[in-house]
Amino acid sequence: MSDPIFLHLGLLLVTGLLFSLLAARFNLPRIAVYALAGLIWSQDLLGGVFNLQLGNWSGMLTQTALALIAYLIGGSVTARQLKRLGNTIVFCTAGEVLGAAIMVFVAVWLFLSGQAQALLVAAALSVLAASTAPAATVAVIHEYRSRGPLTTSLLGVVALDDAVGIILFSLLLVVTTGISFTGAMSVAAVEVGGALLLGAVMGWALAFFGNRVRNPHFFLPMVLSAILLSQGLAQIWHCSPLLTAMTLGFVGRATYKSGGERLLAPVEYLEELVFLVFFTLAGAHFNLNVLLGGAELVVIYVLARVVGKIAGTNLMARFTDAPPAVRRYIGLGVVPQAGIAIGLALSLLNHPAFADTGLLIVNVILASTLIYELLGPFATRYALRQAGEISEEGRYD
Amino acid sequence: MTERIITLSVTEWLQKHPAMLVSVSPDTDILDIVRAMLAHESRDAYVIENGRVRGHLSFNKLVNHLFSHDRPVHSHRQLFARVSAATAEELMDPHFAYCREDEQINQILHRQLQCDVSDLVVLATDNTPIGVIKLTEVVRESLQ
Repeated sequence: MSDPIFLHLGLLLVTGLLFSLLAARFNLPRIAVYALAGLIWSQDLLGGVFNLQLGNWSGMLTQTALALIAYLIGGSVTARQLKRLGNTIVFCTAGEVLGAAIMVFVAVWLFLSGQAQALLVAAALSVLAASTAPAATVAVIHEYRSRGPLTTSLLGVVALDDAVGIILFSLLLVVTTGISFTGAMSVAAVEVGGALLLGAVMGWALAFFGNRVRNPHFFLPMVLSAILLSQGLAQIWHCSPLLTAMTLGFVGRATYKSGGERLLAPVEYLEELVFLVFFTLAGAHFNLNVLLGGAELVVIYVLARVVGKIAGTNLMARFTDAPPAVRRYIGLGVVPQAGIAIGLALSLLNHPAFADTGLLIVNVILASTLIYELLGPFATRYALRQAGEISEEGRYD
Repeated sequence: MTERIITLSVTEWLQKHPAMLVSVSPDTDILDIVRAMLAHESRDAYVIENGRVRGHLSFNKLVNHLFSHDRPVHSHRQLFARVSAATAEELMDPHFAYCREDEQINQILHRQLQCDVSDLVVLATDNTPIGVIKLTEVVRESLQ
């Protein structure tokens, strides 16, 4: 029998959706049950029983889903909006990203010192530590009707750091393809420069054709075609696919000169499907032996990331003379981690440099995401309450 | 009761049913646009620069942004729009439906429904806006 790709994918997605219905009924975190649904079909459980193997198709699916997310993040902001974000948001984003990346890198590298590929695992986990979970933060802010300088800064930071996380991750992949440092730098220049150029040309072309299309139903197929074509061209021309997709979104929206409703809204509807794919696939890659072997690494990653984010944001908030509430508590608000980190970790499974360590990284990120999913909202709520920006009276039930 | 086909031209319609176009400048913030729409009981506003229409804004989309704090889910785009206080220019759709003075009212009804526009802007031959056709007025007249 040929590889039952559609059966496996269908089982993953249907199980994820059924579990999400239960999650909604019992008020459980949605992404945790997606991962649980995937875990049921992992090799240690039913996937092994029915001999359902995750083949190359899962890599292709992850790449496509990541490209959609990168396109949406690139198109989510204009240059003028970026300028208006203000120093506090920009510097706090830099602080939390760099703080988490440095702390995770040092902690993981020290922990794994002496082991093969310690540097590579430390570097990968450090860039994966950058992104946060805007959905979790927004949910807490909405639930408690939080308003104030910390709320605004928090929303800006969680929106911006996913973009920075994708850029750092792309740079990591570019650097790991080079054999020597100089080789890596020249490859990096081609991959990054090529991605920016290719994304810009494709974005301009998308806006050009978008300006000539009147029927709104054509926009989704047009945007999907542009993303797929740009990914294909990035592959054959050795450009960074994620940077290409981000640039495509950014330039497409800038050239189209609008709120991006037509170019972005149709793809935004696919976001839930993308996260369903990410989490069920990550769950299906669950491997008990690998996770048990890396249990200490999970603890180190979780702690180092939190310490890095708190220290980094605190330092930068002081530097920009942010209000005391922002200075003290913004670090706790950016603790959650979710879909972007999972998606990026999954994509490492198809990268030759991570052939031996990819599965360990996916399992560490999956386990840490579940921990953050449980603890993150409490941390955000504590930060907002301490800052005096929420009240129980205003809470939505 | 059945609906009546209106055979008036747009020019004749505007003389009979003059209606104010809600126009805003590109740098107007969301709150001021929504206030202007409420003042004119309109669900559509147009961004005007140098006497020309640059884009269209719909009431629902603006309210979506204005009350984003009351919504539990945000896309990255909505997050940035909320935090950076987006302006009319950043939210408008540059591709908007319009009609010309010499068209018949019964010809433009389909356009209004297809594009979900209640107040359709009328452009003169030099592309300056000269009024709006209110869907509610067209329906009211048609049913009389």
